[in-house]
Amino acid sequence: MASELVFPGETVPAKHVNLKLGPGLLQQATLSNPSESSVVSTKAGLLQHSANRSKWWVDSNARRYVPAPQESVIGVVTQRLGEGYRVDIGEAHQASLDALAFEGATKRNKPNLKVGSLVYARVSLAHKDMEPELECFDAQTRKAEGFGELKGGFVVRCSLKMCRQLLDSKHFLLPLLGGKFPLESAIGMNGRVWISAKEPKQIIAVARCIEAVDPDGGGMDAVEAKAFLETLDA
Amino acid sequence: MGSSRPIQISYDGLARVDGSARFAFGDTAALASISGPFEVRLAAELASQATFDVSVRPLSNVPSTESKSQAATIRSAIAPSLILTKNPRTLIQLVIQTLSPSPTPRWTDGLLAAMINASSLALLNAGSIPMRGVVCAIAVGRTRNGDLVVDPDEKTAGEVTQGGCFAFMVADGAGLESNSTTVWTNWRSQELGTFDEDELIEAREVARESIKEVYATMKSSFLPNDDKMDI
Repeated sequence: MASELVFPGETVPAKHVNLKLGPGLLQQATLSNPSESSVVSTKAGLLQHSANRSKWWVDSNARRYVPAPQESVIGVVTQRLGEGYRVDIGEAHQASLDALAFEGATKRNKPNLKVGSLVYARVSLAHKDMEPELECFDAQTRKAEGFGELKGGFVVRCSLKMCRQLLDSKHFLLPLLGGKFPLESAIGMNGRVWISAKEPKQIIAVARCIEAVDPDGGGMDAVEAKAFLETLDA
Repeated sequence: MGSSRPIQISYDGLARVDGSARFAFGDTAALASISGPFEVRLAAELASQATFDVSVRPLSNVPSTESKSQAATIRSAIAPSLILTKNPRTLIQLVIQTLSPSPTPRWTDGLLAAMINASSLALLNAGSIPMRGVVCAIAVGRTRNGDLVVDPDEKTAGEVTQGGCFAFMVADGAGLESNSTTVWTNWRSQELGTFDEDELIEAREVARESIKEVYATMKSSFLPNDDKMDI
């Protein structure tokens, strides 16, 4: 799929019976003929579409997270309320996490999170006029599936595109690091990556590699990253 | 008429903001940084849209009345291109730093155009604020012998009798005939005298033509490079 650079305001030739528009695209009525509509880009980036041209989106990088439903994020608990917690996910507003939104939680058996603890949660509601809401279980199975409190470890900040790349199983970085030493990671779509390894120098090596491979930072590719990792003591 | 001085664009990647860009017409340069949408203090919060806040830092001295006036100008030029309703109750903060002195004390329009262009590029670089177009600006002046000069440099700025800066929003998705609309201008007579509507329209069309080059340069600076942009 050849991807072309689009700027905000440019019309995009997206037409399909089951058209789905992803980030960066907006459907609006054309001014010259209000009964027709056209698809317009709202950010600068590379225009992509799926093979059957039903899904279109604009691929670009950003540092600031704007929540969208069904995304997994890493948050920091900032406040304990009666029926839940206030969590900071790097967005303009604090998200709310209900105390019962954990696997197997009942009124008698609620998890006890302290202020400052890390949670890996899924955004269940993200409307522009309301506070975002989080849940710590998978929607279909109602089981934890890795969500919940993250104990120990270290959080690294990175750009949003880097998070998406790390979530891609075909990306080179995590297998490269995991091949050197055992490593646990949780990747949040809000620009935060949690890593846990046995020794501090391994955690530092992972943090520096993420910064080096980040398209917003070093932008290294697989070969350069391998060479860079060799220079670190891990 | 000619075209503008050589345009230089670079994306510095300032550390603690969400997007930044530097734009220069020749050696008239400005640096803009954008942060947002993030938390806003209660007094400045708007229920149905984001608060758009602009501040200008001059090259030397503390920000004064002129900086406030330039900030208000840039705000009214850039605001039409932003879709602020997508992020209500948040703040979008634009800070512009001038990097060069104005050629003559009364001709500040070249710098103003550079500041507006740097702001647009910073917004594109940030990628977190939806936009409906890109605002590009250029300064145009009419010299004593009646010629229209695009982006006058230091020497020519002294001979300008009427001049100003034009800002256009370029958006081809609007479905109108031309793909750029004038969003702001401050065309005025520099010396005692007047100008008529035809002269203003002529200057505006000259500016509209030159904007195409500015827009094309902006677009080509955005293409992924080995060591530059991060798309």
